[in-house]
Amino acid sequence: MASTDGSTMAEPRADAVAPAPAETAGREKKQPRTRIEYRRFNLFHRWMHFLVFVSFTVLVFTGMPLKYEDTQWAQWFMDLFGGVTAAGIYHRLAAIVTVFYWSAEMVVMVVTVLRTRGHMRDRITLMFNAKDVQDIVGMFAWFFGRGPKPQFDRYTYWEKFDYLSLVAGTVIIGVTGFMMWFPIQTTHLLPGYWLNVAFVIHSNEALLAMGVIFIFVHFFSAHLKPESFPLDKVIFTGSLPVEHYKAERPLEYARRVREGTLDEVLVEKTITWKTYAADALWWLITLIAGVSAVMMTAFIIWSVFD
Amino acid sequence: MKWLRHLLLLIAVTSLAAVVAGPATGATAESPLQTPPNDECYECHGAPEAKTKTVDVGGEPRSLYVDRAVFEASRHGKLACTSCHLGFKAGPHDAAQTEGWAATARIDACRNCHADVFTMYRGSFHGTLGFLDPGSKTPVCADCHVAHNIVPPESVEFRRQIDGMCARCHQDAQRTYLDSYHGKAATLGSLTTAVCTDCHGGHRILAPSHPESSVNEAHLIETCGDCHPGANENFIQFLVHVNPRSPRSSFLVWTFYAAYILLITVVFTFGFVHSGLYIYRGFKDGLYGRKHHG
Repeated sequence: MASTDGSTMAEPRADAVAPAPAETAGREKKQPRTRIEYRRFNLFHRWMHFLVFVSFTVLVFTGMPLKYEDTQWAQWFMDLFGGVTAAGIYHRLAAIVTVFYWSAEMVVMVVTVLRTRGHMRDRITLMFNAKDVQDIVGMFAWFFGRGPKPQFDRYTYWEKFDYLSLVAGTVIIGVTGFMMWFPIQTTHLLPGYWLNVAFVIHSNEALLAMGVIFIFVHFFSAHLKPESFPLDKVIFTGSLPVEHYKAERPLEYARRVREGTLDEVLVEKTITWKTYAADALWWLITLIAGVSAVMMTAFIIWSVFD
Repeated sequence: MKWLRHLLLLIAVTSLAAVVAGPATGATAESPLQTPPNDECYECHGAPEAKTKTVDVGGEPRSLYVDRAVFEASRHGKLACTSCHLGFKAGPHDAAQTEGWAATARIDACRNCHADVFTMYRGSFHGTLGFLDPGSKTPVCADCHVAHNIVPPESVEFRRQIDGMCARCHQDAQRTYLDSYHGKAATLGSLTTAVCTDCHGGHRILAPSHPESSVNEAHLIETCGDCHPGANENFIQFLVHVNPRSPRSSFLVWTFYAAYILLITVVFTFGFVHSGLYIYRGFKDGLYGRKHHG
């Protein structure tokens, strides 16, 4: 979570660029540049994030106009999607993707917990623990200049909050969404006024999730906080320069050094034009999503106070 | 043979008149209701000067102007003016006739052709509100269907106006409707979502307490089932008109609403403060743009 370089990735950096092993053979020009990086996220993590990213964006942009239906921008978005019926179909398709990624995450999580029982402890856990409380206090002390910045392990408390609120929020918003998608089946089990409750929950949980993801936690952590500004793209690329990670998550790094497991997560990244093309792609995607999200947020704030 | 000459002259003049007037009155010549030809009406009522002239109808000024193009494109576009404006003659109308018109217009003009609809209306909730009383606010035909720009009630244009028409009196019902999934979809252009008349009916609207009302509990399964086949006893307990912001509307729904507003406020406030302070510290310590952080 430490890349501050962004578009300046192209500049060679002595600390991060390691010479290729066979460089002495007099073939420097053909030798690709390589760099030892810390693999923070594996392919599963990256695909999960991509599915969340796509489905969440579709859900927000097809759903929010319905929450603020009496605004100009709501109508504008509906026209963009080809009408409220089409938007409803995209919303449901994205809901199916959500069910898929959530289930996959649960399966992997259960399997991981079962396989590593007794070994995981709380060192890389995504559940809150006592250290998070210390970290929150420590961070506020640091904010006011009354202490050093706390050292973090693999996941910070705001990342845990981000993750857990998504996992739990998906259940809440998913159940209420499916209740409204299948009202006849729902009312085989429940009185109809629970559909009203489902509507209120779905609508407000959506606003809450949007605020958490778009403004206060996720966008902040990936774009706005000093360590990430302007874009932390490790979730897309999977790895980041070792020095960055060491600075960002010193506790996890130190533990791996101590336990001799650092090699497991070090990867030799070959820098070619594809690396830069991929970087440009992540920039483009996140820029579009970011601008849209900021726009949507601004629209909503404007609607609420209008 | 003087009478023969007179007869021939009369025939000649009439034929000439028919030839001259023929093309102009062609449009209405085939209508069974053709007196007087509408052209004569538009001489005054279609003239640009009429746009600024008004006549007093039940205390409200109404324009004398009729847009011919709009009228002729409407559902009644082929009718003679006098098929509704009963008994009116060309030339300035006499005061007694125009004064009595408002009362006639409210019902008679429509009833002559739409007697079945009038019967339904007469038996409806609206029909019992004294629609003939002077100054009555009860909606009559033209309040929903308007007069010179009648569009087919099954048309998209008409469907989109329905909630606004009802809201002239039933503002609260419209507000809760627009807040509901049905209303939101309608606002955003859905044509399949329910509007007022789909549940309450059009001409024969009855109070929900009336046993024959389409929204009476005894008929809700049937009414909801029109769009939601399979609707059962549970389904009809859905609250179509509910205001989540009011505990009096539904305490259950309000509880969830209030809880979420509280939760959102707490989370957003904490997030705002936390992010703000983090950025502040980042600037203060010059962390932005640095390569590595510790």
